[in-house]
Amino acid sequence: MAKWWLLAAATTLWMAGGYALVRSPAPERVAGPRSSARARIVSLAPNLTEILFALGLEANVVGVTQHSDYPPAAQNKPKVGTFWQPSIEAVIATRPDLVVTEAFEQQRDLARRLQRIGYRSLVVEVETIDSLFRAIATIGDATGVSLQANALCANMEMEIARVRAHTHPRRAPKVLWVVQREPLRVAGRDTFINEMIELAGGENAIGPTLHVYPAIGAEQVIAAKADVIIEPAMLPGTVDQQHRQALSYWSRFENVPAVTAGRIYVIDGDVVSRLSPRLPEGIRTIARCLRPSEFRE
Amino acid sequence: MQPLTPRILLFRTVVATVLLLAIMLACALVGPQDISLKAAVSGPRDGATPGLDYEILMRVRIPRVLLAAMVGAALASSGVVFQALLRNPLADPYILGISSGAGLGAILAVIGGLSWTLWGRSPIAVFAFLGALGTVWLVWGIGRITGKYQVTGLLLAGVVVNAFFSAMIMFLVSIAKGQQLYATIFWLMGNMAEEDLFVLWVGGGSILAGLVALFFLGPQLNIISVGHQDARSIGVPVERVELAAFAISAFITAVAVSLSGLIGFVGLIVPHAVRLLFGPDHRQLLPLSGLAGAMFLVVADTIARMVVAPAQLPVGVVTAMIGGPFFLFLLIRHSRKVYWPT
Amino acid sequence: MTAAIQVNQISFGYGPQKPVLRQIDFAVEPGTFLAVAGPNGAGKSTLIQIMAGILRPQSGAVLLEGRNLHSYGVREQAQRIALVRQEFVPAFGFSVIETVLMARTPYYGQWGFESQEDRDLVAKALELTDTARFASRALGSLSSGERQRVFIARALAQNTPILLLDEPTSFLDLKYQAGIYDLLKSIQADMAVTVIAVTHDINLASQYCDEALLLYPLTEDSSGSTDGSGPGRPAQFRIGRTAEIFAPEEIQRAFGVHVFSGRVGTERFILPLGARAKDANPPTLRT
Repeated sequence: MAKWWLLAAATTLWMAGGYALVRSPAPERVAGPRSSARARIVSLAPNLTEILFALGLEANVVGVTQHSDYPPAAQNKPKVGTFWQPSIEAVIATRPDLVVTEAFEQQRDLARRLQRIGYRSLVVEVETIDSLFRAIATIGDATGVSLQANALCANMEMEIARVRAHTHPRRAPKVLWVVQREPLRVAGRDTFINEMIELAGGENAIGPTLHVYPAIGAEQVIAAKADVIIEPAMLPGTVDQQHRQALSYWSRFENVPAVTAGRIYVIDGDVVSRLSPRLPEGIRTIARCLRPSEFRE
Repeated sequence: MQPLTPRILLFRTVVATVLLLAIMLACALVGPQDISLKAAVSGPRDGATPGLDYEILMRVRIPRVLLAAMVGAALASSGVVFQALLRNPLADPYILGISSGAGLGAILAVIGGLSWTLWGRSPIAVFAFLGALGTVWLVWGIGRITGKYQVTGLLLAGVVVNAFFSAMIMFLVSIAKGQQLYATIFWLMGNMAEEDLFVLWVGGGSILAGLVALFFLGPQLNIISVGHQDARSIGVPVERVELAAFAISAFITAVAVSLSGLIGFVGLIVPHAVRLLFGPDHRQLLPLSGLAGAMFLVVADTIARMVVAPAQLPVGVVTAMIGGPFFLFLLIRHSRKVYWPT
Repeated sequence: MTAAIQVNQISFGYGPQKPVLRQIDFAVEPGTFLAVAGPNGAGKSTLIQIMAGILRPQSGAVLLEGRNLHSYGVREQAQRIALVRQEFVPAFGFSVIETVLMARTPYYGQWGFESQEDRDLVAKALELTDTARFASRALGSLSSGERQRVFIARALAQNTPILLLDEPTSFLDLKYQAGIYDLLKSIQADMAVTVIAVTHDINLASQYCDEALLLYPLTEDSSGSTDGSGPGRPAQFRIGRTAEIFAPEEIQRAFGVHVFSGRVGTERFILPLGARAKDANPPTLRT
């Protein structure tokens, strides 16, 4: 059975050769960034784009994902795919010096792949409000605009503090945050939305749950006894229409305090759907729903 | 059909290989970004920064095409072997639990939030590989205990294990958080990404070694596919050959699945098509199916890349859309030959 | 002359409560054509499978050229014994010549292809079984008789001194039955092969076979207990020349049916007659 031995020997040689020759491919690029004035940056998430613009790096951004719609200037930047499906070819075609991605597996994997090819990538986690501030700082350091980053963070903290100053230590209204009506799904305690609600002076009507965005039934809605129901608008420009639909949907829950008091709000989804420099605005929007008398604008 | 001779086999294999290389090159030149071969070939300019065309071709396209080729070859060849071992032309490499085992491994890695990497490869791939192999051995063990290598015992064990693991997968998917969910489903539908040279080298080498080993077993597989006892009385050590063929096929399938997720239909329809065209002799069926599987998946992946560019479809979707109708056609054709007495 | 194959005190059961064979013991001289007959459930197929090495007896042994069958490797065994079972259509469409060539698998060269010697053996087997004319056709396109001959051709291509067959003509029509037995007889005569065939057809066996083994089913009468045997217990089998084994009284006793017997020429024929047969209760038992 000479052929089997031959095969075994050839395979062993192949693997050994592979290990010796190609184990660690060296990236062809130099790792250091160019000066921030000329660095070409690609952002693979809409909120990262917002951060980059807020840091004054608009001129450096050379690629964004499909739904990077804020600030409006971002819409004119070249597209490199969608948030869920960035195109590695399109990214490479922009000849970036730095690619900024989010931390979950999909994007982390892409960052690794780009790194292997020799492009510098930066992975930032933006899951909680704390991590948002850290991300801003990290991005600032990586792009040489640490001063602006600190200033941005300080500004945001000030704005948030201003909103909080208006919250009273008395009973925080219970908020039911409805992300989807059919089937009914709400934001749980483990979300950044929950953090925003609390900063705005409210409390999540739903207790701790296993799922991050749990689906709930009518029974739980009644048990939650929400004082305020907030729905972020699905699509821009549909706030009024969705408000009408919401009112008619919720009218069946006669025992819920929010329904009897008529405190059902539909807000613009944009400022509350992503963790970005517009965070203070989002918190203020929520606070306005919780205490309309105090935030009349 | 004339019996196979070495000359005919060599000729067909060479032609198929040339065809595969041509298809691979053509597909490497197709993509969301337009690149030209001439620009790419003029190569890295000035040594400082490589030209864009070169970079995309060499660092993105060609690795991906190579990966598609090796995964396609592995899936098609192991499909041939499973069909022979189970004596059933409707078997595919996932029938004995590899798919649900790999899926379970992958999902456990995603939900467990594991982030360590193996030589820079994501943990999902490693866990998928272990899951696939572990499940296959579980099924083999159960089949051996219950049926002493009888085909029915193996099939039943595979069905049971698949059902149980699929239920576990569903449960885990239901408690997954949003992005974990997306990552899992994306993996389950099959996807190609360019890999670095080391992974291609090791993966490709394993698969190629497996394919050659299976080719060596070709004559024995012929007689085993006719009948288990016929093989024994002819002088083929049946249990040994079956175990070897099974182990090698399971291994290369596990490698393929860990590299690219679950891609279906390749292992089912490529062997069929090749058998229809060239006959059931496994000495020929194995190399030609491997090459045809490679061609099929390279083309399918190119379609997946192009049809909704710059986004991409999971490859498994494209193979299903091509494979589903073809499978239906085969079923109708097959049932016409078989007379169903009323 | 040493026996081609010897069955030494074989006992076998499919489970502790299911004994099938008890102390079967006989020897077959080389070049004999032996018929194995008996009622359903007597264990004929089981016996053939034990002789082919597929089943292992619980006690006793099969001896091949003096050595225990199971001491031979799978390939060595295949060089000495070939087994033909009932024809069937395989799952994949191999042609006749491809199927017969498979018999030479253990002899293939390094890269898995047959040699000229293999091809010659196969050609001879095809010729002998008159299957050369549909060598390129798929097995599924043949009639059962033709297919059975292909399986015999495959066994012949193994080029063994012993050929075992398990009911080679059960579902074939008269023409094919005669054809197969003609073929087996010529194999025995021209190639000096020892042929052992399980058969339901006593009359054909009488015409073609030299010897016969009649196997009785194990019942309470003949076994009593499943393990040892007592001195006075009757044997489960009888072996001898076909004329004496297939005597009408023996057949009546073994099969439990009334028979009518007549003489064709040198051999007898036997016809089972049930109570409702037209010629039931014949006046005399002619021999």
